Amino acid sequence: MAGTALPTRRTEAWKYSDLARALPGVTLSAPTDTARIIEALAGSVTHIDVPAETSVLSVDRFGADAMEARAFAAHVKAGATLTRVVVQTATDGVPLGAVRVRLDAGATFRQFIYAEGAKLARFETEVSVEGAGAHVELNGVYLVDDGRHADLTSQVIHAQPGGETRQLIKGVARKGGRGVFQGKILVAPHAQRTDARQNHHALLLEDGGEVFAKPELEIHADDVQCAHGNTVGGLDADALFYMRQRGLPEAQARALLIEAFLGEAVSASLPDDLRAEILQRIGSWLGASQ
Amino acid sequence: MLEISNLHVAVGGTEILKGLTLAVPAGEVHAIMGPNGAGKSTLSYALTGREGYEASRGSVTLDDVDLLAMSPEARAAKGVFLSFQYPLEIPGVPTMTFLKAALNAQAKARGEADVSATEILKRVRARAEELRISPEMLKRPLNVGFSGGEKKRMEILQMMVLEPRLAILDETDSGLDIDALRIVAEGVNALRSPDRAMLVITHYQRLLDYIRPDKVHVLVGGRIVDTGGPELALALEKDGYDKYLAAA
Repeated sequence: MAGTALPTRRTEAWKYSDLARALPGVTLSAPTDTARIIEALAGSVTHIDVPAETSVLSVDRFGADAMEARAFAAHVKAGATLTRVVVQTATDGVPLGAVRVRLDAGATFRQFIYAEGAKLARFETEVSVEGAGAHVELNGVYLVDDGRHADLTSQVIHAQPGGETRQLIKGVARKGGRGVFQGKILVAPHAQRTDARQNHHALLLEDGGEVFAKPELEIHADDVQCAHGNTVGGLDADALFYMRQRGLPEAQARALLIEAFLGEAVSASLPDDLRAEILQRIGSWLGASQ
Repeated sequence: MLEISNLHVAVGGTEILKGLTLAVPAGEVHAIMGPNGAGKSTLSYALTGREGYEASRGSVTLDDVDLLAMSPEARAAKGVFLSFQYPLEIPGVPTMTFLKAALNAQAKARGEADVSATEILKRVRARAEELRISPEMLKRPLNVGFSGGEKKRMEILQMMVLEPRLAILDETDSGLDIDALRIVAEGVNALRSPDRAMLVITHYQRLLDYIRPDKVHVLVGGRIVDTGGPELALALEKDGYDKYLAAA
């Protein structure tokens, strides 16, 4: 057989997302690095160059009932800003997105991912801080209902000093929904004064929801600030009672708490129209599932 | 107005309230005093319908309506308000948004029209000023990062805006310095009214210097063991609960 099989749960980088099962019968024509599977499935990589001191906004939407694989490679030059927004609405398809970003000195990469999950949805982000003092913001929310799977996997490599990473991912899972967060931050030996914070928090809204999280910090420099937090739990019963005591019906109190929980990850720096769209999508997802 | 009769409540399998009987007529302020573990907070949760604090026997009615059969939100709409001993932090929900949602949810449950946003804003701002709560605090998520005293003032603000028929204040004085205590007490006193009843639960007599009760009840071992006027609170401050504990 000439092709290469797709990754299964035995493959470390894909251990929570069984691509071979989601895409039965699909093989690749040549052996491929498992970390480059999405590029291989996309067939081509779209290049985005952001010239120094300019700003680019890229919006990527997924919503087909089929495999949609798209790969990007971006180079953000000194002092420039790339903002990327991914909006993925629930389908029975297999949306796959990969972006590899190189940041020069003082460059900024901001990303926000909205994922409702699909048969299998995976969004990979890899950022290399290759110039001093670059900024990375990787936020996102996932909301997974019965039969939906959303996987947010990222890696930030701080290869140069003085960089800053802020990552906040929030997720909610109902019965039969599965969320995956894999986030790695690597600080190279001479990337001193790196300031990185990674947070992933998820709520299991019903019994039978699943969340898998693998947060990783790998630090080889000694003068850095790195922090991470990772929690998975249920809605705060005390807060819920407090709100009901004030007269809010249980469903409304729950929706308000969940919206507020997710809303924290919806960056204030997003363009107003996209921010409004995402908050509206969160509201209707919560409303539709009650 | 509030009638509690032979109320029994077990929490996690242990009976805490053991036949509590109490009546608070409209227009009156009653204080409930008692030692640690007497069942004071259990009473406040049983009255407001918290899960795990269901009555096994007895009855509670407000204006002759059975409260025990109602959900917490239905009781709130009926006019029951609890000022929590430990107010909860509600991340991501601005205080103003929360108050608006609560007011309109209660109005809806009572079949009344929504209160307009400008009317709410006006009402909240006026009350906030009396309690020395800054407009900036109203924009922040409810109670998040507030000091103990600020949280208690925020409880009183909510009470003033929601205008309940029955207000229960659970250890509102705990964690307050003298100035904050005075501000809170002034807020409570401003709400005294012929058609409102208040139940003030406290450990210490101190709060009752500022909020003068019509009656004082002593809660020991899950029952009301003594009732008197404000002088009873002073006697308790002096002699403690020993004589009641010995008898219980």
